[in-house]
Amino acid sequence: MPLESSAESPVAVRTVAKALTDWIGRLGRVWVEGQVTEVTRRPGQATGFLVLRDTAVEMSLRVSCKARLIDDLDPPLTEGSRVVVWGRPEYYAARGTLTFAAVDIRPVGIGALLARIEALRAVLAAEGLFAADRKKPLPFLPRQVGLITGRASAAEHDVVENAQRRWPGVSFQIEPVAVQGPYAVTEVIEALGRLDKDPEVDVIVIARGGGSMEDLLPFSDEALVRAVAAALTPVVSAIGHETDIPLLDHVADCRASTPTDAAKLVVPDHAEETERIRTAVLRARRCVTQLLDNEQNRLDTLKDRPALADPWGVLDGWASIVDELRQRAGRAAASGLTLRSGEITALTAQVTALSPQATLDRGYAVLQRTDSQVVRDASAVAVGEQLTARVATGTLHLVTEAVPT
Amino acid sequence: MSDEQSLTYEDARDALIDIVRKLEAGGTTLEESLALWERGEQLAKQCQQLLDGARTRLEAAKPQE
Repeated sequence: MPLESSAESPVAVRTVAKALTDWIGRLGRVWVEGQVTEVTRRPGQATGFLVLRDTAVEMSLRVSCKARLIDDLDPPLTEGSRVVVWGRPEYYAARGTLTFAAVDIRPVGIGALLARIEALRAVLAAEGLFAADRKKPLPFLPRQVGLITGRASAAEHDVVENAQRRWPGVSFQIEPVAVQGPYAVTEVIEALGRLDKDPEVDVIVIARGGGSMEDLLPFSDEALVRAVAAALTPVVSAIGHETDIPLLDHVADCRASTPTDAAKLVVPDHAEETERIRTAVLRARRCVTQLLDNEQNRLDTLKDRPALADPWGVLDGWASIVDELRQRAGRAAASGLTLRSGEITALTAQVTALSPQATLDRGYAVLQRTDSQVVRDASAVAVGEQLTARVATGTLHLVTEAVPT
Repeated sequence: MSDEQSLTYEDARDALIDIVRKLEAGGTTLEESLALWERGEQLAKQCQQLLDGARTRLEAAKPQE
């Protein structure tokens, strides 16, 4: 029921104070868990004060209690202790302050914390937050490495030093945060948010050296684990020693056993990569050389084939055909000639054999009439007829004087 | 001729193989044989040039150590 008021008719302080007391009183007693960030216990004073902070966000309660409650705690309360407090919020009207009046304070034991982490682990696993298919691959060579770690810590040194040794050109964007205590979770989440938004940052390392179980609690915090799960940039966790496995290790895209190991995961080894490239180039060269050699062999074989290596062979083939033909022609011509010259000889002999010359040589003469008829019968010749007498050498022209009667 | 120059090594080589096969098979006229042979010589030269060119490029790409 809102109080009716105006500038002309304001309500009294006591009215507001009473209303507050009334409203706040209605909350009743609750069990509250948080982390102690401040203890005020002055000797001689009957009341002590604590500041109890939420483990994930920046919200606090001021707790008042009997000083004895604080004194009786074993182990004594320190900053960062996890406690469960039973009490009710109270508005102290005389001073206008709000405190949580505690009637019981119990430290949260390690066993209970571990059990709670285990329960949370089961819940998150069931949600699929740790599933292998959610893991993002790490970049081969990040433009920038985001590093969330304690300011000037050994973990920072280990990551940076080892990464630079492997890849001298590596560039870091370092976010120094509280890596334990009540502010760790919020600071890590904020740093993660900044780095995740930076487009130059290709991988984020969350690193912290070894510590007590309580020291590592922030890295099992639900809010932090969910923030890492939601990050778009691959996250590498490098918390404590090999044996420490906070929930962050499960949700991170890659788990490094130590900060040094994280350095190995985020950048390649320069020398190793150089060697790999060199080997690759050598192999490529060998392949190409082999290919060229093979082709050279093929080409050489082709060029050695008689069809190409001995172009004269082609001509020789043709030339020999021509040659042979010529020889055949010659032979044919020669044999024709021989045949004919034999004929001539025979004919000549024949002609010689048939010639009357031999008879003429012996002194005979042949008489022929003007029409070349040989005179065989003297009575066939008329007186005064002209005749020719062929003797061995030359011819005589005769006139017939007388014929037989 | 510019077409000839743009032949790939494989094309030139296959053409050369073809020509050798034809020459070896015979059955061509003298004029054809000579033309084939001339073409073969030219292709062989071209193949060699391409191979030599590849080798030169390979040498040129060698790291200077």
